Amino acid sequence: MEHRYWLMLLIILVTGSSMAVIYVKHESRILFSELRVNQKRQDELRIQWSRLLIQKSTLITQANVESVARKKLDMVLPENIQIVTLVEYD
Amino acid sequence: MTDKASSPAFFTARHYFVLAVLVALFVALIGRAAYLQVFNQKFLLGEGSQRQLRTIETAAYRGTIFDRAGNPLAISTPVDSIWVNPKIILQDTQGLKKLTKSLGLNFRKTFNRLKQRVNREFVFIKRRIKPELAQQAVADVKGAYLQREYNRFYPAGEVVAHVVGFTDIDNKGREGLELIYQDSLKARPGKRKILRNRKGEVVEEIAQVVAAEPGQDLTTSIDMRLQYIAYRSLASSIKKYHAKSGSAVLLDAHSGEVLAMVNLPSYNPNKPRNNVAQRRRNRAITDIFEPGSTIKPFTLAAAIDKGLYSAQSKINTTPGYMRVTGYPVRDFRNYGVLDLAGILRKSSNVGAAKIALSMTAQDLWKAFSSYGFGEPTGVSFPAASSGYLSFFGDWHPIDQATLAFGYGLSVSVLQLARGFSVFANAGKLLPLSLLKRSQSPQGVQVMKAKTARLVLKMLEQVVGPGGTAKKAAIKGYRVAGKTGTVKKSTAGGYLDDTYRAVFAGIAPASNPRLVMAVMIDEPDKDIGYYGGTVAAPVFREVMTQALRLLNVSPDKPQQISTLAMRSREEGL
Repeated sequence: MEHRYWLMLLIILVTGSSMAVIYVKHESRILFSELRVNQKRQDELRIQWSRLLIQKSTLITQANVESVARKKLDMVLPENIQIVTLVEYD
Repeated sequence: MTDKASSPAFFTARHYFVLAVLVALFVALIGRAAYLQVFNQKFLLGEGSQRQLRTIETAAYRGTIFDRAGNPLAISTPVDSIWVNPKIILQDTQGLKKLTKSLGLNFRKTFNRLKQRVNREFVFIKRRIKPELAQQAVADVKGAYLQREYNRFYPAGEVVAHVVGFTDIDNKGREGLELIYQDSLKARPGKRKILRNRKGEVVEEIAQVVAAEPGQDLTTSIDMRLQYIAYRSLASSIKKYHAKSGSAVLLDAHSGEVLAMVNLPSYNPNKPRNNVAQRRRNRAITDIFEPGSTIKPFTLAAAIDKGLYSAQSKINTTPGYMRVTGYPVRDFRNYGVLDLAGILRKSSNVGAAKIALSMTAQDLWKAFSSYGFGEPTGVSFPAASSGYLSFFGDWHPIDQATLAFGYGLSVSVLQLARGFSVFANAGKLLPLSLLKRSQSPQGVQVMKAKTARLVLKMLEQVVGPGGTAKKAAIKGYRVAGKTGTVKKSTAGGYLDDTYRAVFAGIAPASNPRLVMAVMIDEPDKDIGYYGGTVAAPVFREVMTQALRLLNVSPDKPQQISTLAMRSREEGL
């Protein structure tokens, strides 16, 4: 008699675990497709990021900064005679 | 067990029955298989390919290479490559026409190419184009698909090409840092399972088998601002003097980091195939040359360190030439009696030779070797050279004498700069690095701090009035340095009219921050060929900008106005 209970229990466990497998498999597919969506998004963002990074490094090249400073902002390099150095003493 | 089962009659009847059933089933199975294989093959193959389960690669990007401020020097951006299945696309010439048109390809040529490869299932027709373009091109075209790849882009192009190097079409490093750090930069592509339909479209992405791992980033020690300036001014000097090639290296004196390293001629790393190998060499590291007079401060330092001479020592160089076991050593003219600083200021070969000959060969060799000549610099780089310093056991007196003014040993520009950093660093020699350092390395004391400071002071006179490097002087700053004008040698001996112009210097001299070495190969003799004429101006131009950009305060107050400040509260 005892065997029957064991069998019942095992059948329930097996059915349960097989359902769990189905569920987990399903879940993993959903998560994976989500992962792929996010990876594609990451790719797009990376394209944008690298574009911006390159743009930034072009804008801050010495030559560019210098020409903006000189032409747009009317700045000049001070002559040495115009530079005043402050020396601290007690 | 039971009697019935073991009776022969019963056994035979059942036995044959079961056997017959089994055989019948088996025959039916084989028949069915044969039927499917022979008559239904086409249909089934089609059905099968509708539901292909495949494992494909997930692309990952290679690590980015940055300069020390975080500007990209090499960056991987996603691109798409278009591939087609000839079997499918050739059935739809309209689709192929549309595809070739949007990609700017010749339709006939592409058609013929695909016809030849009709038995394949995978043919690239266009590699590495912008993702948006690629997606538009393959839209609604049967049998054309995309594959994600990564393109390597070098925003700074030829300016830093020799240091960074480049990769081949498979994203493997071929030169420079790309090659040396291939293992950490490279991406590890992942694997994933997908379900494809008959058209090759991905119906479902099923699972990730192996995660893709992008490569690690690399931060170099290069400062792009200084790199640009160095490149520009080296280029203008080379152009002005019709020189063959040139190199310059700028070091941070205290950390041993390479802030700028430029070579000319250069190449465009974004199109490396268009360039000859000769242009790709990082000459500052791989090429060695006789350093000439730039070696003299080391000769003096070695002798002072041994206690043989002091700042007050006088050396008679009259009559401006001498013979060492029959071989002549000549000065430009007769400089008479000189002190040690005078030997450097006038760049007297006779003086330097006399000092070298007062030492034992072994001591001189040991000193030179400890300054890093003939030794690796610490920078790992493809084909890096350690230079050449012959063993003292093989020296004749004339070898020792010529060594004193830089002939008979060979150095790279990087080694020369490293040697000068000993004077800048109070006698310490540092291992150099092309990668950004978080802290300065320990270094080795190879010269007494006192000696290093004394020679540094003497080197300031070279840049001052009466020296050979007046064109290296920078307003507001104290500068130390040494020129070299070296006759080029070939296998047969020294050439008469071909020279190398060399300059190595340190600024500011009161508290050295930067060390720079410049070498220009074969300037036109008719325009100018002295180190002080050709190479020193490059030093001045780059150093002036570098000191300003790095916020180094001037240390030569007589050239600038000084306002003394009583206290913090009162001023500012």
